[in-house]
Amino acid sequence: MSSKIGRFPSGNPRTIKIQKELSKRSLDAEKLVYCYECGTCTAACPVVKVFPRHYNPRVFFEKASLDLEKVLTEAGLWLCAICYRCHKRCPHGLKLPEIFLSLREVAVEQGYLPDVPSKLEEILTILREEFPFPLVYSWLCLRPCEEESKRSKLDNLVLDVLQRSLADYKKKEVAPLPKVHREKLAIIGSGPAGLTAAWELVRMGFQVTIFEALPEPGGMLRVGIPEYRLPKEVLDVEIEYIRDLGVEIRTNTTIGKDLTFNSLLKEYKAIFIATGAHRSRTLHVEGEDIEGVVHALDLLHQANLQKRPRPGEKVGVVGGGNTAMDAARTALRLGAKEVNILYRRSREEMPANPLEVEEAERDGIKIHFLLTPRKILGKNKQVVAMECIRMRLGPPDESGRRRPIPIEGSEFTIELDTTILAIGESPDVSFLPEEVELTEQNTIVVDPLTLETSMSGVFAGGDVVSGPATVIEAIAAGKTAALSIDRYLREGGV
Amino acid sequence: MILLTEDSSVLVIGGGVAGIQASLDLADRGFRVYLVEETPSIGGRMAQLDKTFPTLDCSICILAPKMIECFRHPNITLLTYSEVKDVSGSVGKFAVKIIRKPRFVDETKCTGCGTCTQKCPVVEPSEFDVLLGDRKAIYMPFPQAVPRIATIDKDNCLYFTRAVCKICQKLCQADAVDFEQKPQEITLNVSAIIVATGFDLLNPSVINEYGYQRYKNVITSLEFERLANASGPTGGHVTRLSDGRIPDKVAFIQCVGSRGLGRGVSYCSSACCMYATKEAILIKEHEPDSEVFIFYIDLRASGKGFQDFIDRAKENWGIQYIRGRPGEILEDPRTKDLIIFCEHTVSREVRELRVDMVVLCPAFVPKESNKKLSENLKIRLDEYGFFKNEDSMLAPVDTNVPGVFICGCCQGPKDIPESVAEASGAAARAVEVIALTARKEAQ
Repeated sequence: MSSKIGRFPSGNPRTIKIQKELSKRSLDAEKLVYCYECGTCTAACPVVKVFPRHYNPRVFFEKASLDLEKVLTEAGLWLCAICYRCHKRCPHGLKLPEIFLSLREVAVEQGYLPDVPSKLEEILTILREEFPFPLVYSWLCLRPCEEESKRSKLDNLVLDVLQRSLADYKKKEVAPLPKVHREKLAIIGSGPAGLTAAWELVRMGFQVTIFEALPEPGGMLRVGIPEYRLPKEVLDVEIEYIRDLGVEIRTNTTIGKDLTFNSLLKEYKAIFIATGAHRSRTLHVEGEDIEGVVHALDLLHQANLQKRPRPGEKVGVVGGGNTAMDAARTALRLGAKEVNILYRRSREEMPANPLEVEEAERDGIKIHFLLTPRKILGKNKQVVAMECIRMRLGPPDESGRRRPIPIEGSEFTIELDTTILAIGESPDVSFLPEEVELTEQNTIVVDPLTLETSMSGVFAGGDVVSGPATVIEAIAAGKTAALSIDRYLREGGV
Repeated sequence: MILLTEDSSVLVIGGGVAGIQASLDLADRGFRVYLVEETPSIGGRMAQLDKTFPTLDCSICILAPKMIECFRHPNITLLTYSEVKDVSGSVGKFAVKIIRKPRFVDETKCTGCGTCTQKCPVVEPSEFDVLLGDRKAIYMPFPQAVPRIATIDKDNCLYFTRAVCKICQKLCQADAVDFEQKPQEITLNVSAIIVATGFDLLNPSVINEYGYQRYKNVITSLEFERLANASGPTGGHVTRLSDGRIPDKVAFIQCVGSRGLGRGVSYCSSACCMYATKEAILIKEHEPDSEVFIFYIDLRASGKGFQDFIDRAKENWGIQYIRGRPGEILEDPRTKDLIIFCEHTVSREVRELRVDMVVLCPAFVPKESNKKLSENLKIRLDEYGFFKNEDSMLAPVDTNVPGVFICGCCQGPKDIPESVAEASGAAARAVEVIALTARKEAQ
């Protein structure tokens, strides 16, 4: 198969070089010939929802096989958010995000893009048209490496552009947008979904107020994403920009405590709930409440507030999602000597983004599969060990993944001094009135197309509806909600 | 133990359309046939279907006469509710042990009057109706079942579970109910064996984003067939499982678990393009004002008259074919409508489509029991778990064991005409074996 290297045209020596480069990066190159162009990738892609004119992964991939050199110069190449939704749904499991990542690097390293900075500027302009935090998004999706010594040529170019852009942003004087409508709108939560909706609505001429429970706005962007992936300064600057446009952000205001939901209903014509999923799930095992057991979100939160929590030397992280990876890597950066991740299924079923997993492993974190904790053992009220049991995989459950089944009698003990639980997050919806219908998973029931809840004039989107998901999905939800709210206010219906 | 001996007899395993065809071919030529079927009635998958493509004939109307012929044919012995336990010997002289599972109804006495099934107080989901309809604990799987003999489901019968009731026994005028029946083992000596055990459908919940079993109005094509069938659980009304409403908009999704290297299977299930077209037309026949969509990757209309059938579906029936495999289906939690996210790959547009019902066309997969049967018969399985033929071009129904033949969907997905053709082929090959064995013995 290696002679064919997928579907890319051969003949042109430069193209051959790129092909070799791609296959060297072991991208399942032989699988590429099987793409039937079914369109699943594009249909599932949240980036397509936000940039329908600029991005279509299927067409992009197809173009790559027709005119690779041209593709390397196109803007679409830089828009993929590396969320892996396409990979999870692709009948052949093609890793399109990794192909696009490699193509980006190839484009820069092989000199196909002589003027990378202006290309990146062009991308930022495209991003800026659709949502208010192009720099945050670029930082997360273009992923410049944190360590200077390990940065590639591309990483350095990206960082240069982003930092220059950041400096420009700071200098820019922004005038508030005119309010052409009388209606006042409330948004609960200042994460990516809430901020995007606020920005869209303020541009339409509405008066928008965001309520944020935490002392600083940003939601998961601030408290969930570690500093090494997104410097807080970038977030601050872009939120400042949204504020300058005329969005009022009231921090330290918890709905249900400082203000009631009903009082919002009286004052505001429409409400968008974008409170995210901040409540950590519990493991329901013995010893979960002893000293040294922490929830991943709490650890990330504290680390992000520069409180520098001190995990122990030997850390065990339970879970297989992106939060588990972030928590493990953060623990390592906070001084842990040894970090082990325990996941109850196998690598294939891991919900974490494969690239995050790879990076965690590159950091020296070990991932152990088919294990689950049975008991957390303490001594003098301090964690000393964890009793685990081995699992095997049974038939698929309703999530479509194979269900883990404990193998009785396979218990064993791991010594550690800190246990980080990262077994999922769910929304906290206790502040909502009964009229807002909830699902069994405690997420809010909405019309999938308009995001309207069971209460007229109340909309919801982002993690509070979908459960933990990615930034780009929250952005897409924020945009949809803004359109629906506008339609609701002008036409009296969605 | 009863020992049956017959000089030129053939065992057919599986009573679907392929097994029935092979049995009739052989029996008509004067050979003795034992037709073994594991469920209480012959008929198989085809009996579950409402109509057939491309002629839109009533499926059971074509099959039922053949089923009855099997029952009445002097050369065919029907061994329903039976399983092959063990096979020994070689071509010309196989010895096959068969377990006759107890029906708890005497086959020689039961007249099939149905009184017991009417009066039985226990209601259980019907396997024949893909668990959408009900049956009793004493039951005949479907109205045209052959043989027309009741069977007691031991796991749910009140007498077996709680030692009460016995209503069926009290009411049976033929005195056929026999709670004391035991499994019976018989040994058959046969010259050749034909395997026609059919296929299963993939449980589409592994393709998680389509929401099967999470969303009530996402059903499989086989469930659709039962809903569309006049003897099915809704009396032939295709209705939504969430509220019983007749859907205005229905979408079919092709290649659910087929043609992939990840979840599901890598091969094409070959019949879905056509049966989805047929089912789409059925909806239009029932409700001419409804809108029907078929989401496909490639339309594979490779049989005789098949392309015409699809053209007719488009032109005469107004069925909308959309090239693109949906990436996600979401349910509107209030109306239980479904929203399909799909790229129309021809126009390169990503669109959302709100429909009332989604029918998934899941991959054909090998039966789990194939493994055990392959060990018993010492025949090979292919990489997917279907029975493997000797040479797909020149010996399509032969196996690695002389005298054992395979036909129908047990060796790979196919439609009814192909299954029937293979069945006749397998019957002809079995006759050859018998003739050769006879000649050898004569020498």
